[in-house]
Formats: sequence, structure tokens, C-alpha cells
Amino acid sequence: MASTDKPTDPEYNKEARPPPPATVNYFAFDVSLRVLLFAAAVTAVVVIVTSDQTKFIPMLGILRKAKFKHSPAFVYFVVAHCVAGLYSIITTLASLSVISKPNLSTKFLLHFAFWDVLILGLVASATGTAGGVAYVGLKGNNHVGWVKICNNYDKFCQHLAGSLAVSLFASFVLVLLVWLSVYSLHCRVPK
Amino acid sequence: MESQNKVSMGGMDGLESREKEMKTANQRTAKSHELLARLLAFVLTFVATILFGLNKQTKVVPFQLTPTLPPINVPVSAKWHYLSAFVYFVASNAIACSYAALSILLLFTSKGENKILAKMIIFLDTLMVALVFSGNGAATAIALMGYKGNSHVQWKEVCSVFGKFCDRGAVAIGLSQLGALAFLLLVLMSSLSSNKRSSKY
Repeated sequence: MASTDKPTDPEYNKEARPPPPATVNYFAFDVSLRVLLFAAAVTAVVVIVTSDQTKFIPMLGILRKAKFKHSPAFVYFVVAHCVAGLYSIITTLASLSVISKPNLSTKFLLHFAFWDVLILGLVASATGTAGGVAYVGLKGNNHVGWVKICNNYDKFCQHLAGSLAVSLFASFVLVLLVWLSVYSLHCRVPK
Repeated sequence: MESQNKVSMGGMDGLESREKEMKTANQRTAKSHELLARLLAFVLTFVATILFGLNKQTKVVPFQLTPTLPPINVPVSAKWHYLSAFVYFVASNAIACSYAALSILLLFTSKGENKILAKMIIFLDTLMVALVFSGNGAATAIALMGYKGNSHVQWKEVCSVFGKFCDRGAVAIGLSQLGALAFLLLVLMSSLSSNKRSSKY
């Protein structure tokens, strides 16, 4: 048994050995990026949900509230980041399971590349959506008569800005994740 | 042992050549699919850019200063560069469209397989997904605000006045969304093809 095993071993080693150490490294990086993504998504959601502000408007003589729920763009933003947060939990677990069972890694990498790029689209569009509305809130627009509101609701706008910055960071992390999966898939193609 | 090895080698050769043929055929179809997706991305983002960039509407609106006087007719116009979200939309689509054209030129004029170029292009494709999606998001949010307005912050809807502008904008955003999906498809296709090629061995 040992004699038949030995001749095949070196050849086997030549072909199969290079990927595993590389993938182990990449998956550790993958997990840390996914944890970062989770942190970013949760931070973005918490910051925007706590942005509600009530203020007395002297011109109208009444108390008015600014809430993120008032604009569908911000609701979409919150939903997208909740989805991204949940997704990051699931994929962190999946990525950890790949570290313990490296033989499944190619299949998982393909799935990661698929879903990461979808979630990237989701988070990027949510960032664009909220950013577009927040910019009008900050600057106003004379052409269509939309007045700026950030001079009245300072805390609301600061929260929005913080949340948008974190969301931009989350999309950057997602781009890195897609790059990582695509790159490690490319590395598996034999030369 | 040696003869056995030879036989197995000969068998391997036949198999390998057949496999190679299949591989090149597969690569050719994969390449034509990729070209199709790239062309689609180029055309869609190009049309969206042109449609939105040439989008403007001037309308005469009766404007009542005081109830006693007759209304004055005031010409008002809507142009795409009045709103920064639309500027971002047009810019992101223009970048994506020129990148798609450039990538077609680079990929299909270079002879043989250039691994570094292929990797670079996939990386940039991913960036384009993010760029075009965010541009679409921004334009959609502002367009929705134009359709519906927002009573909480007293932003009035403007699409009842500028109907043609809004319709054209909506079509451009839809086309651009399809273009973004084409970029997404490109990333998926490349990871699928490298997965296929790696799982054969």
C-alpha cells in the first residue's frame, strides 16, 4: 500500500499543493473584510435611525420634526443596509466554515463573487439615492424651488452625512470583497 | 510499469487534445458572450447619456402675482445640469460608456491571452458596477422627488409642469439600469468562466 502511494504522491503534491496555503490566507482576509462590512452596515443603520430631530421653526411658529422615514430614499437606504448587514453575517459564517473545510473553497468563492456583486449594486445604489436627496437638503435648488433644510436641522444632517460616509466605506469594502473572490478564482485557473 | 505508463500517457494525449479543442471552443463562445455583454453595456449607457444630456424642456407657465391682476406668462425651463444628482448620473454614464468602448478595443485587439489585462478589466468592471449603480440611485431619488414631491420639507413636485422632461429622464434611468446589470453580468461571467476552467483539472 505504501509503495503504491509513494510514486503518486510527489505529482499529486505538485498540482494540488500551491492553492491551499494561498486560499487560507485569502479567506482570513475575506472574513475580516466581511466583519468590517457588518460593522459598517450596522453603524450606518444605527446612525441614520437615531437622526430624528424636532425643532421649533420661528418662521412658521410651530414645532416640526425631521425624520428619515419622511423620505423614501432614506427608507431604501436603511433597508439596503439591513440586507447588507444580514448578508455579511451569513457570509462571515460561510467563510469561516471554508477555513475549516478548504475542499469546498472554489464553490464558495463562486457564490461569494455572485452575491457580493449583487449586494455591491444594492449598497452603491442606496448610497447614491440617499446622497442625492441629502445633497438637495444641504444646498437646496433654486431651479425647482426646493429650499435647503440643513440650516434648520443641523443634527439630522450631521447624522445623514456620517451615515453616508460609512455607507461609502461599506461599498468600498464590497468592491474589495468582489476583487478578492475574482482574484482567487483567477489564481485557481491553471497556467 | 513503463509500458503501463506509456499506454496511460498515450491515452492522456488523445484525451488532452480533445479537451484542448473543447476548451478553445468553449473559450470562443465565452468570448463572444462577453463581447455581446460589453456591447450591450456600451450601447445602453451611451443611449442613456445622450438621452439625458440632450434632455431639456422650456414651458410657458401662467404665474399669478396678485389675484386682481391677470396672470403673467413666464417661460421656465428644465435642464439636466440644474440638479447635481443628474450631473452625477450623466457623468457616471459617460465614464462607464467610454470605459466599455475602451475595454472592447483592448480585449479584442490584443492577440493571445493577456492575464494582467484580463484581471485589470474585471477589477474595473466591478468599479463600474458600483459607479453606475450609485449614479442610477441618485438620479432615481431625485426623479422620484420630482414626481411625488415631499410634503414634509415643502419640496413641490415638478413633473406636472415638465412632463416630457420627466418621461425622457425615466427612460434614460431605465436604460442605464439595464447597462449597470450588463456590467454586473460581466463580473459574473468572468468568475464563472474561471471557475469552469479551474474545475476541469
